[in-house]
Parts: sequence; structure tokens; C-alpha cells
Amino acid sequence: MENNYQNELADLSDLGMSVEELFAHCDNSEAEAEKITAPRYSYWKSVFRVFFRKKINIVILVLLAVVVLFAYIYPMIFPYNAYENLAHMTTTSHLSPAKAIKTLGFKLKWILGTGAQGQSTFDAVWNGARISISLALICAAINMTVGVVVGAIWGFSKKVDIVMTEVNNIIGNVPYILVISVMVMIFTGSFWTLVFAMTITGWIGIAYFIRTQVIIIRDREYNLASKCLGTSTFRIAMRNILPFMTSVIVTLLATELPSYISYEVFFTYLGIGLQEDVTLGRMISQASSNLAVRAWAFEFWSPTAIAAIITVVLYVVGQNLGDASDPRTHR
Amino acid sequence: MVKYLLKRLLHGLISVVIVVTIVMILIYSLMKRELIFRTDMQYRKLQENQKITYKYEQWERYGYLDYVSYGEYLNTLVEGGEITKETRDEAAQLGARVTDDSEVTATYVKKFTEAYESRGYEVIRSDKTASGQATILFASRDIPIFTRLFRYFAGMFRIDNVHYVEKTTGEELPDTGITFTFFDPLYNQGEKKVFAPAVMGIGTEHRYLLYFDDQFPYIHQNLLKFNIGTSYSVNKGIAITDTMFAGQDPNLNKTVTFATGLTEESPRNLHTATYVKGSQNATAINADRFTDDYTNVQYFKRNMSRTGFSFVIGIISVIAAYLLGVPLGILMARKKNTFIDGLGTVYVIFIIAVPSLAYIFFFREIGGALGLPKTFTADMPNLLMYVLPIVSLALPSIASLMKWIRRYMIDQENSDYVKFARSGGLSENEIFTKHILKNAIIPIVHGIPGSILGALVGAIITERLYSVPGAGLLLTEAISSYDNGVVVGLTLFYAVLSILSLILGDILMAAVDPRISFTEKAR
Repeated sequence: MENNYQNELADLSDLGMSVEELFAHCDNSEAEAEKITAPRYSYWKSVFRVFFRKKINIVILVLLAVVVLFAYIYPMIFPYNAYENLAHMTTTSHLSPAKAIKTLGFKLKWILGTGAQGQSTFDAVWNGARISISLALICAAINMTVGVVVGAIWGFSKKVDIVMTEVNNIIGNVPYILVISVMVMIFTGSFWTLVFAMTITGWIGIAYFIRTQVIIIRDREYNLASKCLGTSTFRIAMRNILPFMTSVIVTLLATELPSYISYEVFFTYLGIGLQEDVTLGRMISQASSNLAVRAWAFEFWSPTAIAAIITVVLYVVGQNLGDASDPRTHR
Repeated sequence: MVKYLLKRLLHGLISVVIVVTIVMILIYSLMKRELIFRTDMQYRKLQENQKITYKYEQWERYGYLDYVSYGEYLNTLVEGGEITKETRDEAAQLGARVTDDSEVTATYVKKFTEAYESRGYEVIRSDKTASGQATILFASRDIPIFTRLFRYFAGMFRIDNVHYVEKTTGEELPDTGITFTFFDPLYNQGEKKVFAPAVMGIGTEHRYLLYFDDQFPYIHQNLLKFNIGTSYSVNKGIAITDTMFAGQDPNLNKTVTFATGLTEESPRNLHTATYVKGSQNATAINADRFTDDYTNVQYFKRNMSRTGFSFVIGIISVIAAYLLGVPLGILMARKKNTFIDGLGTVYVIFIIAVPSLAYIFFFREIGGALGLPKTFTADMPNLLMYVLPIVSLALPSIASLMKWIRRYMIDQENSDYVKFARSGGLSENEIFTKHILKNAIIPIVHGIPGSILGALVGAIITERLYSVPGAGLLLTEAISSYDNGVVVGLTLFYAVLSILSLILGDILMAAVDPRISFTEKAR
């Protein structure tokens, strides 16, 4: 074997070239040294690339856009008026879609029939949807922010952990329905009361979840290595752990958003939710008493279906965005 | 292990106390007191002084404050022997205005004011009104949160004892004491001897302290009673424990032989007899049946208790959920990324994302179309009426079991021991049933005690929708009718259940997985 190498070397010298011609000299260059040979990688670009790779996501996003359009833009153009047919209530009350179109003429707002005072079910549903979506977005924003921040601290500090675990045990045992109803009783059931009631204890479940995730990742080898190299805890939290958690947080958001809509429907159905506005929950509870009648059935199933569509859309978008935000899927 | 569990239980107990404190603060301090009258028709009808009196009396009943009227104060003075009845009647004549009070009245009003103001009460006087309602005078004091807590927990356990009658009525019964018999007199009025041990007491509140009968759980005791509060509006004047655990109307007649030898069809459950002074000869009915003053009995009921209905429905749905959810979850994990998995995922998403109210209605309509009864009529027992409530309760549990089993199994599938088993030549069946499942099922096992105990709590929407007379509705009913006692009692009950289920879950998990141990700290 050794002989072979020597032979090769001998061959090189036979080429008749100088050493300079065989090896080009390279200066020490700072800029070149920083260059990484891998293709350029942008995290969020990859997230959306993976997200849009699935065709179903485009369909769902279009659906979401339609829902948002109807919930937010449509009522701006055609404001919801609960009393527009109050004058001829007797002839317009609880009409099925076919009858409503026949009596009131063909308009988009009559395609789902009318309610008790001859108001448009279609308009009412979107008005309710707007309240529900806003409620869910605001509650989720507050709960997620507080939950993630508290959860991160909770996971990092052992002292905080001892205290917060007890707090969690205690708050977790106060029935959620009780907290919300007492809040609603104290401040009367307005939109912001409900937001307050749902966020006053709602964040703790999220914080606990995040805490568990942080504890799992906190002691991994790469973080220990980072710590040994002298990285500050804050930097570890922001640079090493938070990116790892993005997919978890987005997935969590996907389950949280629909749950607030469900809660609103649930509490209003029980009579302890929003008391002034026409919400999806209120429509459902009002119409649920008389499902056998065709017109009532429309009043019941329209808000139910819209609530279901909104929650499913939000859930699926969130889940798939969560999948896409996991860097391991970026290939 | 025992030490660890005791520590956990102690922690749990502290949590329970704090939870009750929080709820009490929420209800008694933060909520507007006038709210309890929102649906009270009588309150609306009353005017002026009568309204004030009614208001304070109700607040006392709901546990907001201590309230003593001037009249009550004078009566206690009469009982204490300080004044005669004549003086009381004279002193009770309040003038239209303070200046109109007679001399006697003025002295006692002064005494009353001094006595209660020194104890932190606020003395309120409302003079004769224009419409002619008499002057009222009373003292009231908000109950401080710690006093309230102390009263609540001190009154929680009541142990029956032989001094009960003496203490409450002031006279001692002959033969006071506790006796033990092998032959319960209730079953032994004829010649034939029936073996039925019982512990009986005279001078105690209950005649029977321990006895056997033909109702589940066959052995009953009256010695130790839990008292977590009394209901005011949901079930007027009845203890919360009875509201939850006692059978529901209608009465059930059984052949009962009374102590006098009279045998008839009667709903009276003689084992529950409690002492009421002088009741034996108070009515002809009692005189014909009883030989002593232990005449206050509960009735046999035909229907199960609220908790009973909830538990039957809940426990069947839990069993059904585990029987269906676990195998389906395993199937999804084994057929990962196939059509079956996709179908299962769609179902899981459906249940998670669609509001529970919506899908319960949805399945109710489907069930109704299939000819199943859509409402629950306890009076006409029909096994089919249980089907839809059970289904609607099982649906979400199945979905969550499927979701988690699949998740855990797929996570386990990538672990080294599975790769090792595969390289060792084990069949996929063996790997899944003997290795992956055993590891994946551990977190699921943790939730089993929780779901069983959770069945006691009942379900709000399901019970409301199918009009099941269960316990799940109790909390919402109590909240909407401002029945504070019930709200506090139920919170306590829920808190105890949830702490118990966590501890039991841990024990069960340690029993299933030998690697988990509580004897020493792992870290």
C-alpha cells in the first residue's frame, strides 16, 4: 500500500508542474469564512412554503377569508337590524327560507329565513359570528401572551415552580363555570366582562402546559452546552427554546381559539353569557326549544353550523400552521 | 409511599380550604347582595319597612350577615329570666319616632344598642312610615370571611352522641345509651328470628346508628353525618348532601311493620328515624305507629338520587369510551397515514373543534330520527332513554382517548427499544401489544380514576338537553337562583373529587408501571 502512494507522488512530479501551479494560494478572508455552503434558509418562508404545499390549506384559508369577510365587512355594508320588520311582525315572524323569500323578496339576507321579530337570520348569524370571533381572538391573545410568559418563567425557575404548582392546584379546582358566572353576575354580562371572566383564570392552563414543555427542553444537551459556553438564560430562552416551542404554541392556539367560541355558546346557552348582544350562543339557545318547526330549525342550525365552521376552520388552520412551523418538516 | 400519600392528602386538604375561601369571597364579598332578589316576587311586592325586614331576614338565611331584631333580643332576655313577659310586651312598643318611645322602651332600646354595637353590629332603626308601617329596630353585622370559614368547617362533621336529646330538649330519656343487637327489632316482630346486626341508641339523634337493609350498599350508618350546607332555593331547606344523594320522588311503598305491631304499605324508612320531642302523641298517625319520640323518618323513594342518575349515565359512558376509544386509538396508530387513520382524525377534529352544544344537538337529532327517546322520563322507566345521554357523553371521551392513545403510541414507535425489538425479529403484533401498548397506556391509566369520579359530578349540557334529573344541573341551577350555600358546597365537593382523582391516578400509575415510585424523590 505504501508503495502505491509513493508511486502517485512520483507521478505528480512527472507532470512537470511547479507546486504553485498545483495549489492556488488562498488568503485568510473573514467574509468568506462566515459563508455557509448550505442553501439560504428563512424560517418563516419555509413555514409558509410547507403550509401551502398542502392544497387543503388553501381551501381552508379561502373559507376563513369568506367567514371573516361576512363577519366583519358584510355587517358594515348591511348593518344588522333586529327590528326592521317589527311593524309587520305577525306576517314575517319565524319564516322558513322559501317563505321569507316569497314574502320579502329575494335578497341575500332572507336565504336563511327570519326570526321571532321578522329579523333576518342570515344577518343575525354573521353579527353573532363577529362577536364570537372577536371574543375568541381577544381572549386567546391575552391568555396566550400571559400564559406563555408565565409558563416560561415557571419552567425555568424552580422556586417559582413550587409556588405556581400550588396556585395551579388551587385555581384549577375552582369550577370555570363558577368563576365566569360570578364575574358575569358582578359586572353584568357585557362583552368585556366575558373577556375578563375568561382570561382571569384561563391563562393558567396554558402556562402549565408551556411550563411542562419548557422543562422538557430546558435540560437537553444543546442547552447545557450553550450554558457551558456562557450564554445568558435570557438568550437561551429566546434563541434556543422559543423557536423550539413555536410549533407547540401555534398548535395550542389552534385548540384555544375554537374553545373560546365554544365557551361563549355554552355559557350563553346556560343563560350566563352575554346578555345584550345577539350572539351565536343566544340564537342557539333561543331556537333550541322548538326544533321540530321548520323555520325554527333554520334559526337553530344556521348559528350552529356557522359556529362549527368557524371553529373547525380556525382549528385546522392552526394545526397545519403548527405542523408547518416545526422546522423538522422543512425539507 | 404512605408518607408521600399522606403529604399529598394534606396538601389537597389545604387546597380545598383555599378553594372554598376563594369561592366564599367571590360570592359573599364581590357579588352584589341585592342580586338574590332579582327573581323574588315577594320582595317586589313589599314596601318600606317590611321590605327592609324581609331583605335582612333573607340575607341572614343566605348567610351574608348576622341579624338580630329588637324583638328577638327581648325574647332572649325573657328566656334568660332577666325580664318578665309583661315587661317584654311593654318594651316592645316602639314609638313612631325615637322621641316617642316610652321610658321602658327607651331603656331597653339603649341596652340593645349598647349590647350589639359593642360586638361590632350596626344598629338600624327605621321609623314609622307614612303609610303606617310600624317602626323597626334591628342589629346586623357582616360575617367576616374567617368566621364564615370557621363556622363552615366546624359544622361540617356531626357525630351523633347519647347527649343529643339532653342537649337539645333539656331532659334526659330513660335508658339513655347505645345498645348492640344481632336481631334488629324491625325485622324481628314475629316468632322467627332474623339475623340482622344493628347498633341502636337512645338519647341520640338517630334511633339507628348502624344497620343493614336491602338497599345498596346494604350497610348504613347514621353516626357520622357530613354537612356541607343547606339549600335555600334549589331545594328549599334540604341539606345539600340529601339533595345530591337522596332518592327522588315519587314515594315508594313497602310493607312496613311499625313498633306498635301495625303492618301497612308505607314509604316510611324506619331506619332513618330521628328524635322529635313530644311527637309520638302529637298526631293520631304517630300514636298508632310509634312507641317512642323517634318518629321523624325519611321516605323510600322510587327514583335514584340526582347523583345516582348522573353516575349511572356517566359510568356507562366512561366504560363505553374506554372500550371503544382505546382500541380505536390503537387501530389509528397501527394504520398510521391510511384512510382509517384519516377518518379517525376527522372525527377527533370534529369533536374538538365543533362546540359541544352543537354536536350534542346533532347526535340527538340523529338518535331521534332512529327512534330513540329524546327526553328522559324518570317516571316511566325505559332502558332506551339512557342510550342517547350515554352516547352524547361518550363521544368526546372517545375522541380524546383516540387522540392521546394514537399520539403516545406513535411517539413510542420511534424509540430505541422498539427498533431493538424489531431487529430481534419480533412480529409487528407482538411489538404493538407487548411493548408499545404497555408503555403508551400508562398516561391513559392516570386518567381513569378521574373519569370514574367525574361521573359523580354529572354533565351540564347533556342533562339539560335530555332533561335527566341529575347532579350536573345543580351548579347552574344554584348559580342562577343565587343559592350560595349550594354553590359553596358543590365547589367543595368538586374540589375534593378532583384532588382525590389526581392522587388515585398517581397510585394507579405507580401500580401499573413499576418504574414509577413515590418512595423517594427521583430528582
